[in-house]
Amino acid sequence: MVDSKNVFSGPAYALRDVTFGYATRAYDQSESVLKDLTCSIDSGKILGILGPNGSGKSTLLKLLARILRPERGTIELFGNPLSLLFQADVARRVALVPQETMQVFPFTIAEMVLMGRFPHHRGWGGWHWEDAEDWRIAHKAMEDLDVTHLGSRLVTDVSGGERQRAVIARALTQEPQVLLLDEPTAFLDLHHQLDIARILRRLNRERSLTVILVSHDLNLASQYCDQLMLLHHGHIVEVGSPQDILRPDLLETVYGCQVLVDRHPQSGLPRVSLPV
Amino acid sequence: MKPMADVPSLTISPSSKESGEWVQPSPPRPLPISSLRTLTIRRWFWWVGVSLVLAVVTLLTCLGFGTESISFSRIWFILVGVMLGTESIHVGTDPTAVILLQVRLPRVLLAFFVGGSLAMVGVALQALLRNPLADPFIIGISSGAALGAAIALLFGVGISVWSVSALPVCAFAGALLALLIMYRISSLGHGFSIYTLLLAGVVLNAIFSAFIMFLTSVADPNRAFGMYAWLMGSLTGPDFFTLGVLALYLGVGLMVLATQAQSLNLLTLGEETARSLGVEVERVKKLVFIAAALLTGAVVSFSGIIGFVGLIVPHAVRLVVSADHRLLLPVAGFVGGMFLMLADTVARTALSPGEFPVGVVTALVGGPVFLYLLTNRSMRVGM
Repeated sequence: MVDSKNVFSGPAYALRDVTFGYATRAYDQSESVLKDLTCSIDSGKILGILGPNGSGKSTLLKLLARILRPERGTIELFGNPLSLLFQADVARRVALVPQETMQVFPFTIAEMVLMGRFPHHRGWGGWHWEDAEDWRIAHKAMEDLDVTHLGSRLVTDVSGGERQRAVIARALTQEPQVLLLDEPTAFLDLHHQLDIARILRRLNRERSLTVILVSHDLNLASQYCDQLMLLHHGHIVEVGSPQDILRPDLLETVYGCQVLVDRHPQSGLPRVSLPV
Repeated sequence: MKPMADVPSLTISPSSKESGEWVQPSPPRPLPISSLRTLTIRRWFWWVGVSLVLAVVTLLTCLGFGTESISFSRIWFILVGVMLGTESIHVGTDPTAVILLQVRLPRVLLAFFVGGSLAMVGVALQALLRNPLADPFIIGISSGAALGAAIALLFGVGISVWSVSALPVCAFAGALLALLIMYRISSLGHGFSIYTLLLAGVVLNAIFSAFIMFLTSVADPNRAFGMYAWLMGSLTGPDFFTLGVLALYLGVGLMVLATQAQSLNLLTLGEETARSLGVEVERVKKLVFIAAALLTGAVVSFSGIIGFVGLIVPHAVRLVVSADHRLLLPVAGFVGGMFLMLADTVARTALSPGEFPVGVVTALVGGPVFLYLLTNRSMRVGM
């Protein structure tokens, strides 16, 4: 298992006819959130998933992390059908950073980051003592995200931005090959938005980590993603480079409002603004 | 809950207005990771050892109190005698030894078992429901178990309370039913708050109590009176055989809970996050539910309804020791046992030679603590 993931050269994910709907009542014919999604996601790239509210972005992310199972269709992770893997097998390759982390119990940041080692230990519900290797990996992740000094603080006591960085550190402690992020910058100020985006790009370049992020921030996605996927009503509208996706006509049909697109003064990549 | 005094998002530092940019507080010198407060084997053995020693000391102390007080050295002498085989548990000639071994020791041990189990069930339920106010008594699990036991008692499935009977099994079924209802309610929707759970618990308690009241009102008066006394929570009259049966039930429940300790840690992050970290959430939930129902059912069928132990003990242990369930579960077990041994000692000595139900003591201590937690500011921020 561990070896096969290193030699696999295909895409990180391959989705075939994936359909999913939240059944509100057992007898309800619920409307599907995602309909017959077929695509493949390249490994080693940063993919941004864009789309209006309710377009199925977060649902797609949860399907990729195997938190939800598709109603129909198959998802393959590095060539392995997701439905045949144990949850821990998935968690050793894929880490998810949820939009918000709520914690009511007084765990320390270091304890929370170390929880990322859970899928790497087996037996008795993961009963194990963290060994030197676990500490080393967690320490490295905490240094990368600059949260080492917060290690002894309680998760409930730090700010939203600090907590978000600690959650990303926990995700890296899983030593994943794919990092999924749901609105990683939604609750962060500009400074921390830039921090997170730069860290993600560095991890992507240095460790060829596949990053898949859902965002409402079109400009951040434009600057930092290699590829963008535009979702609308549970369908993929288009997949391509930022220049291909962030076109005024495409955005207007999907988002239903007029947008202005020009070029970022530094990078020359598309920049989206709203009209006055 | 620690006070939330220094949440940066709520603090507007004067400089952030002037310069218009986020002024990051300069981080203190990075700590070496070994100094961070996380669980190590040494810390585990230290805390479990300390709580074990304290539990034994408490047990010996509680043995000394009663209508007739027994000195520490006398207790020591008798207990060592039993262990060496020179003194018998069953046939004693010395009246002090008889009181100590046949009346007090079983009762104090029962208090220890019951208190410890209730505290551990509280820990597990709090993690599973992600609610620091969950307690088998408050959210109605104990009354579910009591209803099951009451049905068994009245329909004669288990006439004798103190022998191997269908009673704990029926209590287990009642507790499991209550747990499933509660869990169903708590997993409805995302906007579910700790207060909704408490309200649902109140209503569930009321429904189960109504059934119990109905059953007692149609029952034979003599039997009904005995049931009332039992429902109030009482630790009177066990023998060593009863204790052995109880220990068997509790042992199984505790083993299951103990194996899930690390999974419970991750479940406090929420089910979806736990799943993304590799926890087989559905399996863990089933195991913990069955273990919690087994423990509650056994405890309730042997000692009636005793409230608040599962609320205050885990809370205190989390603040002082650790939130990590690998350490929290055993330490809360010892502390819960100590708490109930002390509470029961108060209940049987305060009005000596009379006594009142131990549930009175735990409610008088636990109720105010619960109200404090409910109104505590950090609690609301946390949810």
